[in-house]
Amino acid sequence: MTNALELELKQLIIDTLELEDVTPEDIDPDEPLFVEGLGLDSIDALELGLALQKTYGIKLEADSEETRRHFANLRSLAALVEARRVK
Amino acid sequence: MTTASITLQDWRAWQPGRAVHADSRLSVEPRPSGASVPAMLRRRLNPSGRAVCDMLAALDPEAQRILLYASRHGDGERTLDMLYALTEQEPLSPARFGMSVHNATLGVHSIASGNRRSLQAIAASGAEVAALFSEARGYLAEDERDVIAVFSDAPVPERFAAHVAEPTELAAVVLHLSIRGGRSIDTHTCALSQAGHVRAPQPADVIAWLLGEAPLVCPSRQLAWTLSP
Repeated sequence: MTNALELELKQLIIDTLELEDVTPEDIDPDEPLFVEGLGLDSIDALELGLALQKTYGIKLEADSEETRRHFANLRSLAALVEARRVK
Repeated sequence: MTTASITLQDWRAWQPGRAVHADSRLSVEPRPSGASVPAMLRRRLNPSGRAVCDMLAALDPEAQRILLYASRHGDGERTLDMLYALTEQEPLSPARFGMSVHNATLGVHSIASGNRRSLQAIAASGAEVAALFSEARGYLAEDERDVIAVFSDAPVPERFAAHVAEPTELAAVVLHLSIRGGRSIDTHTCALSQAGHVRAPQPADVIAWLLGEAPLVCPSRQLAWTLSP
């Protein structure tokens, strides 16, 4: 895992989800992305899943326990991308 | 007409193409703040949605009133973008889909304000004003004290512009309606010969009517409305 990938994912989240007044520095890699922490919602989860598919070729089950674990925080998301990216 | 009379308690309007007006209830701000909506919800609203939410917050501060929303065309840009994506066999954006539905703005406002009352979204092919007043009358006749009516529209996407008789102006107006107090809104029938040359009323026409600059006529329903001083 690299800081460069984490930074790339932070920017992907900000751009894809059109987060206003949020900078990469505002996203703590260990804080929850959804509900608590960054405060993303279920539509964001679907949108983020789509962005991962387009950008890295990673397909996820929309409602699986595994996907929940990957989406827990930025660090787990970066681990997923590093392990499963095909582009 | 045998329609029950309704009254106008207050109003707010947004028309970014207009010159600044002395009446502070009309905003011409090109980029409304949407300050009434938390940032995490606000990010999904376009300028029109932000303006509508702020006006709703001003006219329904307790978030307790029935909400009606009318738009002839809705969010044509977002819908067309999705159709383009489908023709390219690309997956649809869930956020874009969620915000393309006709009641999306009211939905965001409802979440942000905590308003759990009835909300309705209407498209009436150019008779939106008549539909809004008609729906409002229904609620008021059932002893509802106040109804908030929103009328919002935007230019249709360039691709469809040639199919629209009249260009649509970007504007939104919110009316606080009741049956007691305020200024009376009286409904009149209007002969087709008089109404025939008038365009289907847009939000910009309602704003001009509120400011006393123009009459308000719905040619397809042959109805006109006057506002008491």
